[in-house]
Amino acid sequence: MKKILLLSLFLFSFPSFAAMNHGGMIMDEKGMIMNHNPDKLPKDCTEISEDVDITIRGGRKFAKDYAGKMFTYDKRDWQVPPCARVNVTFINEDDIRHQFMIHGLPGYMYPKGMFTIELYGKGQKTASFIVPSRDYTYYIHCEVSQHTEKGMKGQLKVGKGSGDLDSILGLTPPLTPDLYPIKNSHYTWITLIFSILLGAVFIRVLSYFLSKREDV
Amino acid sequence: MPNKRLYYRLIPVVFALIALSTWLQPDFFQRASGIDLPKGQNPQLSQALKVEKPCVDLHPEWRKAQTIDNVAISESLLCEPDNPYNIAAFVLGMNNVSMRTMMSSRIAEDALIKSDDLDGDGDPDIIRIKLEVLELNGATPDSPNPFPTYDIAPGIQPGMWAFSPKLRGMSVKNFRSQKANAILRAPSPVIRVEQGDKVYITLENTHYFPHTLHFHGVDHPFQTADGGDNDGVPVTGQKPVMPGNTRTYELQPRHAGTMLYHCHVQTDKHLMMGLNGMFVVEENRPNNWVQTFNVGAGHVRHSSVAIKEKFDREYDLHYQSIDKNLAKTIQQSNDIREISKKMHRVYNMSESKENYFMLNGHSFPYTLRDALIIAKPDENIKLRIANTQHSNIAVHIHGHKATITHYDGVEQNPAAQITRDVYGLSAAQRIDLNLQTTNDGLHSYGEGVWLFHDHVEMGVANDGISPGGNVALLVYESLLSETGMPNILRADALDDVMTNSYYAKERALWGKKEAGTLAPDYLRIILFGLLLGLTLGLIIFILRGLTKAD
Repeated sequence: MKKILLLSLFLFSFPSFAAMNHGGMIMDEKGMIMNHNPDKLPKDCTEISEDVDITIRGGRKFAKDYAGKMFTYDKRDWQVPPCARVNVTFINEDDIRHQFMIHGLPGYMYPKGMFTIELYGKGQKTASFIVPSRDYTYYIHCEVSQHTEKGMKGQLKVGKGSGDLDSILGLTPPLTPDLYPIKNSHYTWITLIFSILLGAVFIRVLSYFLSKREDV
Repeated sequence: MPNKRLYYRLIPVVFALIALSTWLQPDFFQRASGIDLPKGQNPQLSQALKVEKPCVDLHPEWRKAQTIDNVAISESLLCEPDNPYNIAAFVLGMNNVSMRTMMSSRIAEDALIKSDDLDGDGDPDIIRIKLEVLELNGATPDSPNPFPTYDIAPGIQPGMWAFSPKLRGMSVKNFRSQKANAILRAPSPVIRVEQGDKVYITLENTHYFPHTLHFHGVDHPFQTADGGDNDGVPVTGQKPVMPGNTRTYELQPRHAGTMLYHCHVQTDKHLMMGLNGMFVVEENRPNNWVQTFNVGAGHVRHSSVAIKEKFDREYDLHYQSIDKNLAKTIQQSNDIREISKKMHRVYNMSESKENYFMLNGHSFPYTLRDALIIAKPDENIKLRIANTQHSNIAVHIHGHKATITHYDGVEQNPAAQITRDVYGLSAAQRIDLNLQTTNDGLHSYGEGVWLFHDHVEMGVANDGISPGGNVALLVYESLLSETGMPNILRADALDDVMTNSYYAKERALWGKKEAGTLAPDYLRIILFGLLLGLTLGLIIFILRGLTKAD
């Protein structure tokens, strides 16, 4: 009897373990949501301007078209109006861990200024956050070791945004680019020499016409 | 005629053009690629890609257990089993074999003479052995390529030396071939004698440098019966055996065990060049005809009586390494004075590195052809391991823990014997292992294709390209193909390594593309060229104008 009681206690306690909610963290065996905020308004917003639903997919296959990179999101450039409620559905298409992590949100409502959806493997989760009113470009990335660096980086512009971030696949060049050797052939050098000659001859022709005009 | 002022006014334009062209100067040799990285390209190969067969099955009839001239030769399921006629000759001595056996081997008639049953126990006790010195992948004035060629792994032909039983006939496979024939190979052969035998080993120096024989750990007197040098050390004995000369060393070993022999002239270099081999003294038993040579080491197809009492199989495992810079010294010149200078004066052993690592004369993947340990469940297998590299080795056999029974040919007290899974050997050390294939979760985890290799990681690569080095396999018979190849999980698993371009460091890993190169930016080059031309033209125009103007 004692055993059954203990067992039932354990069984009943299990679901509550599976969906813990601690200080802004919602966790289960599939993943974790941090700083989910469907209703609290930033100080500078009087009301939610718009509900924006975005679906963002992460995985290896989206990086296939980008030579030299390994992981990325299906879309890396997002834009929402000021004071919008963003309902993010993050879908992980790999069997490993990925994150949708956004930085720079107001610290008084989002501890450390972050909102995160983390998926421990294939699957999806939806959560919301409300953006402030100023035009700003927020940094989105996956913080699993080397995922940002190898392609998993994006941006969210609120309003007009505040410019583009560096090193976003297909959008902006890297801040510290690799240098690749240039495959020169004899055409390269012929083109160069021919252009130089053309420039020099141009002056000669020009001076010829100038002197002719003077003669007249 | 325009006056000088016009031309002076044009000078700032020249500077403006120079500034503009500097600003617009294109990158000529390397540049960043912008938003998208280069698409990538397949690596350039210096020679056409050639994929080798893992096993070239030349002598399938050599595998089966057979009796030749009344010598029982055990089965050897390897891709490249030892020639059974050689085994018969090595057991009986060339003076006791049939003409057929003689003709089927390439051993000289006086290479091994066995006679005189001194103790009357049914086996010969006077053993006369003749060794030669051979060179593999050396220089030749007739070709830029090495000769005779001996590949330790696909496309890898370092210059090497080895002792060899005295041979007859050509050193190459046939008249048209550049390849060394099968018996000319590394390592120097394992020499096996019986405890108490009177052994006369003659070094016939067929090489172009002086050499000697030194018996390491094998019981031998300091001098021969007639007072000659018997330790092989030039500074304590006679001058080394000069090219074209011979010397006979005398031994009557009282103690059995796994020992070594090597050249003791310029030992640092000559030993590393390959002039070292295993020397096994077998316990004295009646009717004990031992296999005097195990060419290429590995499986012993005719074990001694004492080994057969306790073990199901026996393998000699000889670990060697090569410094590619030392190996090169014999490949760069045909003048022996030059070779001697390069090897003995220019080359500095204290700055040496090891680049190639071999087990029984081959590096992976060629170790798959003749250096496998083949087993069945519930067997006791005798492994004699020698390390003649200058670095330590840490041999590990996947899925097994074996017991170290002997250190340097001396039995460890059975109560204190250690069973473990990494076996460390310093330079010149030997250990004997009892590998038990009992699936009990300790000695063996069951049948499989189990890798075994040195765990000092430089040893599992060919000049840094992995997998390579002394990687080999312990394969259970149930997982072995007809041609002695392991049944591995992927059919294409060996395709990469069995190519001529993999160890040349050209083939990209996992068949992937390389980042490669970018195309020249022609627009910038044309713009830059035009600006440069305008500048030059203008300078000439100004100079000419200034000289002409008054």
